[in-house]
Amino acid sequence: MVVTIFIALTLNFLLPRLIPGNIALTILFDKYGSHLKPQDLKLIESQLDLHGSLLQQYQIYLVQVAHLNFGYSFYNYPESVSSIIAQSLPWTIFLLGSATVISVLIGVFYGSYIGWKSGTRQESFLSTFAITLSSLPYFWLALLLQLFLAVVITVDGVHLFPVALAYSTSVTPGANLPFILSVLHHLALPLMTLVITTYPGYALLMRNTIVNVLGEDYMLMAMAKGLRVERIRKRYVTRNAILPVSTSVALSIGYIVGGAFIVEEIFSYPGIGYQLYQAVTNFDFPLIQGIFLIITLSVIFANFAVDLIYAFLDPRVTLK
Amino acid sequence: MSANGQRRFFSSATRRSAEAALGRAWDSFHELIKDWRAKAGLTMLLIIIGIGIIGPFVAPYSPFNTSFTAWQPPSSAHPFGTDYIGEDVLSWFLVGTATSLYVGFIIAVSAAALGTLVGVVAGYFGSIVDDALMRFVDVLLIIPGFPLLVILSAYFPPTVTSTIIILSILSWPFLSRVIRSQTLTLKQRPYIMASKLSGLGSMRIIWRDIIPNLLPLIFINVIFLVVGAVVAQAGLAFFGLGDLKSVNWGTMLYWFEAQDGIVYDAWWWLLPPGFGILVLAVGANFLSNAVSAMTNKTRR
Repeated sequence: MVVTIFIALTLNFLLPRLIPGNIALTILFDKYGSHLKPQDLKLIESQLDLHGSLLQQYQIYLVQVAHLNFGYSFYNYPESVSSIIAQSLPWTIFLLGSATVISVLIGVFYGSYIGWKSGTRQESFLSTFAITLSSLPYFWLALLLQLFLAVVITVDGVHLFPVALAYSTSVTPGANLPFILSVLHHLALPLMTLVITTYPGYALLMRNTIVNVLGEDYMLMAMAKGLRVERIRKRYVTRNAILPVSTSVALSIGYIVGGAFIVEEIFSYPGIGYQLYQAVTNFDFPLIQGIFLIITLSVIFANFAVDLIYAFLDPRVTLK
Repeated sequence: MSANGQRRFFSSATRRSAEAALGRAWDSFHELIKDWRAKAGLTMLLIIIGIGIIGPFVAPYSPFNTSFTAWQPPSSAHPFGTDYIGEDVLSWFLVGTATSLYVGFIIAVSAAALGTLVGVVAGYFGSIVDDALMRFVDVLLIIPGFPLLVILSAYFPPTVTSTIIILSILSWPFLSRVIRSQTLTLKQRPYIMASKLSGLGSMRIIWRDIIPNLLPLIFINVIFLVVGAVVAQAGLAFFGLGDLKSVNWGTMLYWFEAQDGIVYDAWWWLLPPGFGILVLAVGANFLSNAVSAMTNKTRR
């Protein structure tokens, strides 16, 4: 893990410096040069810190990162990158977290159901359905849901779901009921998009492992002992089949992050993906880099956390 | 013996090995095609590839012909309607399919070449080489792909070439793991031992014994790489990255979103590119499902 973090940090440091002619600076001057004051320019120069040897720059960079100092956003100047990230990260964690939990739950139940029915016509139909759903491009699904559930279909002249944002502008943020309801109402479509495109993957994996577990010798033994089906299902099959699913959750976190980013962009959901989109359209390089670093570190930590949980789920695995 | 004959003599052994491998691949293809999912998947892929090949020639208008009324729903003159500046959506779709597939294919082939090279070298040579390469691959696999894609594209000039280079660099790691594990099992086969004992160099063994046997695996992975690349291209376009003037499925969706197609209820503009990606992805997934079902069967 330490090696991975180190490589991510170095990559983040080297990328802007490897590009010939520093496109960042060129674009920046083209875009903001006319209305920048000389002291601003000096600040940006010191921020990009292109003075001194590469090694010295690297040293300064590492110290700043350790202090969670990613500099100032160009576009939202004088707001700092870390404060923008701090505001938007909770929304992304909220969206991604709830989407992951719900997809895993649906996936495990759906998968166990079709796993037990393996070989029947119903199983074949449900598996085909899951394969089709898992092939849906999430950005397209997001646009379809937005078009039909938030624009085209109305009940008594009222749209079913909001088109964008995380909560309605008419409520005051805080621990009050209208705000919470508004947040959930706005969460619905982005959440639906992510759940519909991720749960089939878990379901298909669960089905495959259940079919494998059913073929194991200890299953024959359990049957021969005359254990009740209910007990076999819970203690023998599901417990074993859930292990590969938890590994796949860890592996897919990085992938779901990408999906969540595009979904946030489509629904203008104020998470970190939406901020990244804003940063990219405004050539706000410090913000782009700060977000990349935070997301990479979060995914690495999430993987590490899943490893720990795995040891808890599977007693055969011991932590070194 | 002429120079040509000499070359033929020396390469005949290579060709025999390659032919045997291809023969085996052909047999398993026949086995595979008995599965209805493989049949359906292949059909879907062929339909999309067919549209991609003939599309640009049968497109009724130039995709950049803006002389029509904007925001027209489907009609006989414009079966897929028109977009925000009156371009024909059907023409965009037909030309866009070709571009999406073409770019996807270039990315897939270069990523497959890179992935195969790393996988075979790691698997064949083992020890330190293997450790170092696979460590590197693990890091690439763990770094979330999309943010990395975005940050790279933000620094590269927005051209199709940049997109191809960036996506090729990012797409190979997973394949290299698959190739490596397959190489590990191939390495133990008796005929590799025989080649080694007869004093052949590593390069020749890799080239004439290992690569031909990996071809079916590489081929099936190229299909998934194409799908992945098409989806990634579209994702990039959504962030306003890459060449937005290029006509492809991704830019169709981008302009739909950027020009508020939602507000105009322009479903005719949204459906074609999405269906294109969907059919391609479902086809690839059906095929992969059939392949894994078959490999499981032979293993038992």
